[in-house]
Amino acid sequence: MSKKEDLEVYWNKINYAFPILNGTLYSDCTNEEYEEIQEMIVSLGIQIRIRDLILIHIEKYLRQHVVPSFWSKFIKSDVEVKGFQLFKTAVSDLYESVTNFSGILHKLTLLNNSCSDNMPIFGEKDVLLGFKQLLRATLLAQLPLEFQYIIYFFYKVSFNVFDNEYENSDMGDDVMCSGCWNDYSDCNCAYIVKVFHDTNRKLMELQLLERLAGQVLTNFIQMRIESHIQKLCTGTFDVSHIAFLENWLDTTVMSWLTRIYCAGSSKPPPDDKNVQNAISKFKQKLSYYLYHSYTKLRIDQLFNIIIEYPDSQPAVDDIKLCLDKTDLRPTLCKNLQTALETRLLHPGVNTSEILTAYVSTIRTLRHLDPSGVILETVTKPVRNYLRNREDTVRSVVSSLTEDGAGSELAEELAKFAGEGDDENDKEDLWDEWNPDPVDADPKVNSGDRKASDIISMLVNVYGSKELFVNEYRTLLADRLLAQSVINTEKEIRYLELLKLRFGESQLHFCEVMLKDVSDSKRINALIHQDNNFEASNDKITCNGMILSAQFWPPFKDESLELPVIIKQLLENYTKSFEALKGNRTLSWIPHLGNVNIEIEIGVKKLELTVSPFNATLIMHFQDKPEWSLDELHQVMKVPVTILRRKITYWQSMGLITEKSTDYFVLVDGSDANKSNVSTNQVQEMICEDEEAESVMASAHDQREGELQVFWSYIVGMLTNLDSLPLDRIHQMLKMFASQAPGTECSLQELRQFLDTKVRTHQLVLQGGMYKLPKT
Amino acid sequence: MKVTVKSWTGVATWRWIANDDNCGICRMPFDSCCPDCKLPGDDCPLVWGACSHCFHIHCIVKWLHSQPQQQCPMCRQDWKFNNK
Repeated sequence: MSKKEDLEVYWNKINYAFPILNGTLYSDCTNEEYEEIQEMIVSLGIQIRIRDLILIHIEKYLRQHVVPSFWSKFIKSDVEVKGFQLFKTAVSDLYESVTNFSGILHKLTLLNNSCSDNMPIFGEKDVLLGFKQLLRATLLAQLPLEFQYIIYFFYKVSFNVFDNEYENSDMGDDVMCSGCWNDYSDCNCAYIVKVFHDTNRKLMELQLLERLAGQVLTNFIQMRIESHIQKLCTGTFDVSHIAFLENWLDTTVMSWLTRIYCAGSSKPPPDDKNVQNAISKFKQKLSYYLYHSYTKLRIDQLFNIIIEYPDSQPAVDDIKLCLDKTDLRPTLCKNLQTALETRLLHPGVNTSEILTAYVSTIRTLRHLDPSGVILETVTKPVRNYLRNREDTVRSVVSSLTEDGAGSELAEELAKFAGEGDDENDKEDLWDEWNPDPVDADPKVNSGDRKASDIISMLVNVYGSKELFVNEYRTLLADRLLAQSVINTEKEIRYLELLKLRFGESQLHFCEVMLKDVSDSKRINALIHQDNNFEASNDKITCNGMILSAQFWPPFKDESLELPVIIKQLLENYTKSFEALKGNRTLSWIPHLGNVNIEIEIGVKKLELTVSPFNATLIMHFQDKPEWSLDELHQVMKVPVTILRRKITYWQSMGLITEKSTDYFVLVDGSDANKSNVSTNQVQEMICEDEEAESVMASAHDQREGELQVFWSYIVGMLTNLDSLPLDRIHQMLKMFASQAPGTECSLQELRQFLDTKVRTHQLVLQGGMYKLPKT
Repeated sequence: MKVTVKSWTGVATWRWIANDDNCGICRMPFDSCCPDCKLPGDDCPLVWGACSHCFHIHCIVKWLHSQPQQQCPMCRQDWKFNNK
């Protein structure tokens, strides 16, 4: 036998044992035959070579036949059930062809055992594992672009069936099975479940489950989680959902997942560490996602949650819990800030509403984050915005001191009074200390952040107590003068509460104001006992409200000439007062106060409480039924514009009509009733208007008054230096005139002030230089 | 039409009838109170001297206590209370 023939025999035998070398899998070679052949190979000493050759051929076969036929079934399809079927076929075909390899693999294992080189096969020690590795590598190397579609359909169909099994039992009347969308008569849920578990088992065995379906599965479950959360949590903030959601994840989602991994059983096999690991990893991922999407949803709703606080406290608790588990703090800050800016901080919202929302925000975020860092970041734009609103202080002060709606602040004030100082408690809490969150501003003391309560946060909008106290004074003044019967006790209570917070000295003025009011009552009583005074007027009760001018805010400067009898009356009162209090006299502010009058028109009687202005006006009409605006102006010494505005009160009452332009006539008798009815609404409107108006000089006017201090300096400067630009004036004022407190003056303010002076011709502006006008 | 005024509540501010606006000692307005007082008017009245100068009573009493001679701080005449 020649050597060449020998070789041919050997080669044929090897081919007989390993048909893969010719591109097929089937051989009739029995185990005994193979043992012989292997002995032959070993005796020739070529076992390593043969093994490697076979591996190469296996790889080639997989690459050319198995894998393409697997992927060829991944056709993009719009029908879910078709996708389901395709994926199922693909997987079972793949599984089958892999099973066909078992003969070869068995032989190869034996052959490998005879090799003593211990070389790893595709990175694995074992031939079987190596083969699987090879299969996966080859498969994934040819991964088509859209392979996820049918996988997605596959899981969608099956998850539907599961959802159906768990969640609904009350849909009995429906003709369709909500699991597979078939009629109940040929519902194939059971079939789907079987196929599903089968496929999963095969994929698991091939170790392809995670790689092929993992992404789809995750996406799919995430989508389910999201839609579930959306369904569950929209609109209601008064229930905590987090426990419920966790439970849902544990039962529905996780049991489904376990079934996928464990081929149908709902419990993971206790001995298989791999599966357990995979499942617990998946669960971690999913619970994070659950928290994440839940928190995101809540963050989107946070503005509404804040508005509804404290009813929405469960939702806030949920967010608090989830914030620790996710990294959404910055998102929360940003989103809430944007929400506040778009929904709150624009001219369409009343200041009081902004304040209510601000207070709510403070409370909510306090609860959410006791360190106060989020609060500080989020409310910064709100504070900045409030600072620019003119009526902020007024709104705060009025809500501080009013009952009923919007009295949260009043409660807060009372609460503050109730709290003693709890300095001692703080010392015991040293072991509960927590560091500041990372996003905290290191420049701010954390104690400050925590300590500041709602009222001081509001006060801090402006940064100074004085503005608040001043505004409170104005408000108090308005209230004291507007009411005919004054509830002094209530005011004193508030004053005491405010004193606790702002300190005695700041509110000293207000104390004097309240004392003025009660003193006035006493003086009135004394004067009414005075016989001289009582004798001089028998009809009209005259009361005085006697104020200490130094302690009241400046009054608006308005002139009004009262009717002669009233003037006489007040003079008498002054005389009595002078007699009562030696060396003191009174100066009346004619336009303030209130008058009780009775009007008789025909048979009708009207009893009204009106302002001195309105009383004077109607009294003039009593003397003479027709007046032109000019005549009224001369009698009453009131500017025409104001007259025209205020006469509408009587017009709305139907007592006066404008016969022709600026000419007013008294309406008498029967006409009055008619017009009275029709104009009732107008009257209400105008009366409200009347009430809303403050008799005090506005804060702006007051500030103007403060700036007058500078005027003498400025005149001095300009007399000496002829002409100066704005910033020079500002600098010089800073140098000379800013020692007094409360007289800091920004460039902007100075410009405005100087502009008003230019307008009144007290200054001349020429080429950016201010000059005194030449006289 | 007949208008009857039943009651008239007017608003007035009180002031001292004095020949100056501010107290020469504490420089506060007469209508306000001296630095030691809280409430103006009855609780912190003015007094007139024979020399026609006037002060918050608390101010001048304090002044007189601190001086060896009883003189008006404005004109250095002997201080006498003028009970007018």
